Formats: sequence, structure tokens, C-alpha cells
Amino acid sequence: MMVFSGQRAFLLQRLSALVLLAYVVAAALRLAFGAPAGLAEWRAWAAQPLAAAILLLLAGAVLLHAWVGVRDVVLDYVQPLPLRAAVLLLVASVLVMLGAWTALILVSHAL
Amino acid sequence: MTIERPTFLNFARLRFPVGSVASIGHRISGVLLFLTLPFAVWALERSLRSERPLDLNGGPLARLAFFVLAWAAAHHLFAGIRHLLSDANIGSSLQASRASAWAALIGAVAVASAVLVLP
Repeated sequence: MMVFSGQRAFLLQRLSALVLLAYVVAAALRLAFGAPAGLAEWRAWAAQPLAAAILLLLAGAVLLHAWVGVRDVVLDYVQPLPLRAAVLLLVASVLVMLGAWTALILVSHAL
Repeated sequence: MTIERPTFLNFARLRFPVGSVASIGHRISGVLLFLTLPFAVWALERSLRSERPLDLNGGPLARLAFFVLAWAAAHHLFAGIRHLLSDANIGSSLQASRASAWAALIGAVAVASAVLVLP
């Protein structure tokens, strides 16, 4: 997948980092001023379609950022090509499954 | 494709200035965070669906895991901001980059300790 390598990977890593940074700041502000009082309030918030979309976007940014970072680590330390391909395939599969699982949780909760 | 290259990997003689400690910490914390992702999604599911969500004030082992995770998240955040700034060529002087490396290292331990102490 050339989309996720080379200079595009570099840019994707930085852009997703900025998105995640914005989420960290927003979450810190929300926790400081008006944190959800309890589980019920958190569940009610997450059930709104807009909230589910916000959380889905967060999950997407995390997974893309994780892909570029873990890919860099694997390229640095796993030298034999077949092993490298196997590890990268495993990482990509795990990330895709985690994304699908998260989407399932969030969408079924919001419906 | 194999090229014979001279290698220098005497760890006793390799130098690790503070900037490289912050940098390798960014990588280690990133891998830790990646390994935590399945548990994060599982915790999300428990928090939204389960009758009995996770108790974050578990035993000593859970608190230690929480401390390590909080350190990883905070260090990855601080060292990551440092890397983004250096992309923009901000704080690239030796003095500034050493100062920001110390700030990231100390700040991450401080945040993790605060998370450990807070209820």
C-alpha cells in the first residue's frame, strides 16, 4: 500500500499527530471543566450520533498513527523480508480488526 | 544485497545524550501504546455495554500497569510535541533541544505520578 509509505507516511504521521494533539487538549479541557459525572452521563453522551462520529474519527487517527509508527519500528528492526512482510501483515490485520470492532461498538451504541 | 559495512556497537562506549534518551523513550512508549490498543477498545466496550465496567482503582498490579501506561501516553505526547516543533525548526539549538528533552522526560514522570496519586 503505497498510500501509507514514503513521504505520504511521513505526512500522515504528522497530520494524525496534530489531530490527536487536538483531541488531547479537548479531552483535558472537558475533564477540567465539566467532566461526565458518571457512567450514565458518559453513555448518554456517546449515544449521540455526533459524539459517535467524534469518537470514530479519534479511532481512525489513532489507527493510522499507530500504523505509520509501528511500520517504522518494524522496518528498522526486522530485516529478513519474509518475516518483515509477515509482521507488517499481522500489524495491519490487528489494526483493521480493532478499527472494525471500535466502529461496531460505537455505532451499535448510538443506534 | 548484503554489503559488508563497518559496525560500531560497543554499548559500553555508545553515548546516550539526553536527546537520544527522550527519542528512544518516544519509540518505546509508542510500541507500548500500540500493544495497549486491544485493551483500550475492550475497556471502551465495557464502559458502554457492560453491567459491570472496569474498576480503575484495582490492586497494586493494576495501579503499576496504570502508571506505566500513563507514563507512555504522557512521554509519547511530550516527546512527540518536541519532534513536531523540531520539524518546524523550533528549538533546534543544542541548548534548547537538551532543555526540551529534559522537560519531556521529567514532565512524563510527573504526569504518571500524578495519575498514580489521584483517586
